[in-house]
Amino acid sequence: MKKLKLLIQGMHCASCASNVEKSLKTVKGIKSASVSLLARKGTVEVDDSVNEEDLRKAVSKTGYKLVSIEEA
Amino acid sequence: MENHEHHHTFQEQELSLEEQEINSWKRKLVWAWIFTIPLAFLMFSGRIFGIELFDEKIMTIIILILGFPVIFVFGFDTIKSGLRGFYTFYFNMDSLIALGTIIAYISGFLNLFDFVQDYSGISAMIMAIFITGKFIESKARGHASQEIKKLLELGAKKARIIKGNQEIEIDISEVKIGDILIIKPGEKIPTDGIVMKGASAVDESMVTGESLPVEKKVKSPVIGATINQDGILYIKATKIGKDTFLAHIIQLVEEAQGTKVPIQKLADKITSVFVPVILAITILSLLNWWFFTGDISRSLGVAIAVLVIACPCALGLATPIALMVGSGIGAKKGILIRKGEAIQTMKDIKTIVFDKTGTITKGSPEVRNIYSKVKEVYLLEVAASLEKLSEHPLSKAIVAKANLKKYKQVKDFKILRGRGLEGKIGDKRIVIGNTSLMSERKISLKDFESKIEEFENFGYTAICVAERNKIIGVIGVADAVKEDSIEAMASLNKQGYKTIMLTGDNEKTARAIAKEVGINEVIANVLPEDKARKIEELQKSGFVAFIGDGINDAPALKQANVGIAMGTGTDIAIEAGDIVLARGSLVGVVSAINLSKATFKKIKQNLFWAFAYNVIAIPLAIAGLLHPIIAEIAMALSSITVVTNANLLRRKRI
Repeated sequence: MKKLKLLIQGMHCASCASNVEKSLKTVKGIKSASVSLLARKGTVEVDDSVNEEDLRKAVSKTGYKLVSIEEA
Repeated sequence: MENHEHHHTFQEQELSLEEQEINSWKRKLVWAWIFTIPLAFLMFSGRIFGIELFDEKIMTIIILILGFPVIFVFGFDTIKSGLRGFYTFYFNMDSLIALGTIIAYISGFLNLFDFVQDYSGISAMIMAIFITGKFIESKARGHASQEIKKLLELGAKKARIIKGNQEIEIDISEVKIGDILIIKPGEKIPTDGIVMKGASAVDESMVTGESLPVEKKVKSPVIGATINQDGILYIKATKIGKDTFLAHIIQLVEEAQGTKVPIQKLADKITSVFVPVILAITILSLLNWWFFTGDISRSLGVAIAVLVIACPCALGLATPIALMVGSGIGAKKGILIRKGEAIQTMKDIKTIVFDKTGTITKGSPEVRNIYSKVKEVYLLEVAASLEKLSEHPLSKAIVAKANLKKYKQVKDFKILRGRGLEGKIGDKRIVIGNTSLMSERKISLKDFESKIEEFENFGYTAICVAERNKIIGVIGVADAVKEDSIEAMASLNKQGYKTIMLTGDNEKTARAIAKEVGINEVIANVLPEDKARKIEELQKSGFVAFIGDGINDAPALKQANVGIAMGTGTDIAIEAGDIVLARGSLVGVVSAINLSKATFKKIKQNLFWAFAYNVIAIPLAIAGLLHPIIAEIAMALSSITVVTNANLLRRKRI
């Protein structure tokens, strides 16, 4: 179990953030996800089965770009 | 070390993203209007000036040509992001704008075959206004985070290190713990450390909010990113990278941005279903108008207006933008809001409970009063010469008060645990200690009894000094109240809060301090582990805030509805407290309360406007009372208003 910070590019409205949040929550192994439009940041709690690619896909599926990931 | 560098780039990336966004909107804005202005001129020339420049059909074609780049080139990102929603079902705001503009644009083609009214000119204008709105909004959003950005840029970039006999300038990331750094007047202290040589005044206002320069001498701790004012300082680096005071502050402020304020919950729920609901409403309105009027042109106009007026942004931004501005203002003053929820809870606080030692008081004893039958200087010289040999806090207080250059030589020194000290200066036997030590040595307290009682009533510890078995003076020592505690308490009492002091100390000492600072009630003799339970009891009669120094008060800070942890100058207890004060001053509590209330008021205003806007504007559009262009302008204004209103928080005096 670890906490990751995601920097997300392209979100510009409230429903964008809510979409990314919803999409992240569908990734298997994600315990929680919260996305802030203003900070352009998402915080996710994931178990070890989740890899970067899963997160990247979940973000890009909604039309935005995952710029970088950092352990919180 | 590596981690720190990574952290730094993460933040830098974030800042550059913002810049990219603003620049990109700006570029789109300029180009969009270059095409839209002549288009608008053509469109309205007939209606306003009565001049028909071209035949109506040719006019439609020209407008379609001029409008194309506005919608499909400069608006490409919006159209793409919006249309994507129709096959991923992740709809966003762009979906509404994309659909609205495309329908309007297509109407131009249909118009060529006389099917419907031509909305294609309107289509380009909607996109241009949308882009303008987004540009203004992104600028205002950047403005909202200005304090936080300043904090990110505050850290020193370079440090000057002593290697052998040489001063070398190195990058801040190369500084290691234990390095000796030199800081000249006017320079930034590179990282947290301790003064090894030199003395100076340091401006710490940028990280603690303390407006007066702080005196530094050998052994004083210094904070990275503060400014050395007038002397040369040699410091040893004690903390680097993400362990520094500044890094902790930044971390706290950033984390707070991600926390939610409960009042936002409803708005968040609405925004998450907003776009699909509006799409459904649009289809229903279109069909309804078509069915009842049979006028497809009119029906299309209504549908476009509904699509472009609906905007979840004002709702979604209402709370986070105010929280961002509020926490930025706070950070500048050394008030770090860790949890957004505290802002909402603060307004319901009725009772404020204070820890005593280290919170109301300085946490270290001082000589408060002296009563002597000999010269005070002599009394202190004798006392300090013995006390110098002890490490007890009370001893340190006396030594500090005497402030001697030279101490008398003491023979046969002995510490009498829990009672006092004894020793010989020359041939005089000196005994220093409490009254029980005096009676044990059969030293009469005659002529001093009433003074000792008076000291004890003030909550002082009375230390008797005897020379040759005769008492010569009494020194009253007590933990001193912080200078600004009195001011802070007066302000809180005036605002109608019930103020309570919670302490493990005895009733007498506690009452004396309470009286001095002007606190309403005292709960004394509370064991540390019972503090949280006491808070729980007090919570039965309303919301309670607890102010403590964060280290041993953690359970009470957590139990309270709002926990405010006091930073102790160079250390910040991150885990405890919903709000952390960088500087251990109670004035910060008053500011924190004012800031929370002001921020929450902004949040409520914003939510009110956002709800009111949608509740009024959408039905008006459905009713066919709004022209699509007016609808688009209103939409852009709704989110700009919310962001601008949050920025106005800065005008408030905290």
